[in-house]
Amino acid sequence: MRLSYKNEEARDSFLLLAPLFLLLALFIAFPVLSNFRFAFLDWKGFGTPKPVGLANFAAMFSSPMFRISLLNTGKLLLYIPVSVASTVLLAALLREGLRGWGIYRSILYIPNLLGPVIMGVVLAISLRDTGPFNSLLRGMGLDVLALDWLGSEHLSIHVVGLLHVVWVRLGFGIIYFLSAMSAIDPALYEAALMDGASWWKRFFNVTVPSVVFSIEFWTVLSFIEVFARMFGFIFSFTKGGPGFSTFTLEYGIYYLAFVNMKMGMASAWATVLFFFCAIISVAQLRLMKKREE
Amino acid sequence: MKRAGITNRIIYAVLSLASFAALFPLYHLVVTSLKSKTEYLDNTVGLPIAPTLESFRFIIVDGGMLGFFVNNLVLIPLGLCAYIAVCLSAGFAFGKLRFPFKLPLFLSVLFLMIFPQMLLAMQIFRLASSLGLLDSYLGVLLVWTAYFAPFGTYIMTTYFASVPFELVESARIDGASTFSILTRIMAPVASPMVGTLVIIGVQSMWNELPFSLLILRDGTKRTVALAIAMLKGEYGLRAPDLSAAVVLASIVPIALFLVFQKKITLGTLAGSVKG
Repeated sequence: MRLSYKNEEARDSFLLLAPLFLLLALFIAFPVLSNFRFAFLDWKGFGTPKPVGLANFAAMFSSPMFRISLLNTGKLLLYIPVSVASTVLLAALLREGLRGWGIYRSILYIPNLLGPVIMGVVLAISLRDTGPFNSLLRGMGLDVLALDWLGSEHLSIHVVGLLHVVWVRLGFGIIYFLSAMSAIDPALYEAALMDGASWWKRFFNVTVPSVVFSIEFWTVLSFIEVFARMFGFIFSFTKGGPGFSTFTLEYGIYYLAFVNMKMGMASAWATVLFFFCAIISVAQLRLMKKREE
Repeated sequence: MKRAGITNRIIYAVLSLASFAALFPLYHLVVTSLKSKTEYLDNTVGLPIAPTLESFRFIIVDGGMLGFFVNNLVLIPLGLCAYIAVCLSAGFAFGKLRFPFKLPLFLSVLFLMIFPQMLLAMQIFRLASSLGLLDSYLGVLLVWTAYFAPFGTYIMTTYFASVPFELVESARIDGASTFSILTRIMAPVASPMVGTLVIIGVQSMWNELPFSLLILRDGTKRTVALAIAMLKGEYGLRAPDLSAAVVLASIVPIALFLVFQKKITLGTLAGSVKG
């Protein structure tokens, strides 16, 4: 018996979707759900897991490492406004069509191109206490500024924030905002110029309001970056150190699970991280829907 | 007139400073990789006085970097094939076919896009060890495809949604099956986007860290990115050796960029909605 045309299309669709959903179920949905169960177990990565009730959560909330990681994640979030402001501003400057702007755009894209792991290694070499960056500063007579960027517990998380949240993503952000700005009606600028508006006035009254949606989206992307995409960079840049000073929730999970082999405890952390990610994910979906409309 | 001149000068100064910050680490990387370890101690920033390829020899011969490139050369093309096949077929289904529960299924794909690798890592590790996938390339391939596919599916879906319906309908009337419509008509139509997908895929897989770190425990199976990350910790490597390794590892992404510059920036744009 032949299936009706409509049923046939549905059957084919599910066949085409099957590989994707099989992989997602096995390697994403199942791991996310299993984490909740393992948060109530004691497991070292081998042998049989033992139920421990809420002990993992109790230990987590009283652990200084957890407080530091959560606080660090918060400190990194402070760099999101810096990222938004500097990216939009540089894109607005490049959009003026200066001579050679294409070259600047390409150069600023380099950190993105090399990827977080390589950038982490490169920047770690550059910022060593006796490294080239400090040599350069000392050579210019700026000895006061030649700090121990990666060796200081107070400084290091801010270095990570400035470099990863703002700097490494800058080139990508510029391309993103340049394309958003290319859609602005030139008549708006002409009208503003006729009114004698200064560059800053035009920036705040024309450019920024026209790319509000992109700014919102960039902010959500930045949240995703901070909560969910920093492991590679931190691993190759500071390995979480000195001490726990550049731990984030994500890095802490790695450390507990694969260095200390406390998988149950790490699952409790992962549960906390899950809720943050779920909130961001819902925000992202809402924004995507808004754009469709 | 004079004012505009000053503004321009400020703009150039800001841009030049930013570009300097982007280029300086690269400059330092290249010159350091050409210095001997003793020279680097006295001459950290300047050009090499007695350039040597010793660090490259060390990384390639003693560090086995060539082997890691071969690993990438095996893993990434295979990973790409799986990735493209999955994203193309799912994107076509979401973008052009009608079936029940389409929206909830699509939203669930988007929802799963954001979770960080570390959140999944423990259970993936458990799964991989119970399925016998530890230390196997098949394990890495499956996990990579699963992790990168939601985003690829998203961009293919938006692309296929913009393809005119008539293309599908007229083929249907000619009696073509769904699969031949995909392989004979839609895949060729989508080839520019598939090109972008290939670049996104290569970049993601070339730089992927935590999963390869957890699955490939055997030192000889490492990918280039993993080898670089491990080099730094394992031997307390000196700057010239480390720089040489990083220069070698950067050649491929930079070459890709120079050849496909336009596609890459387009890909990043498509990627602007990624999770």
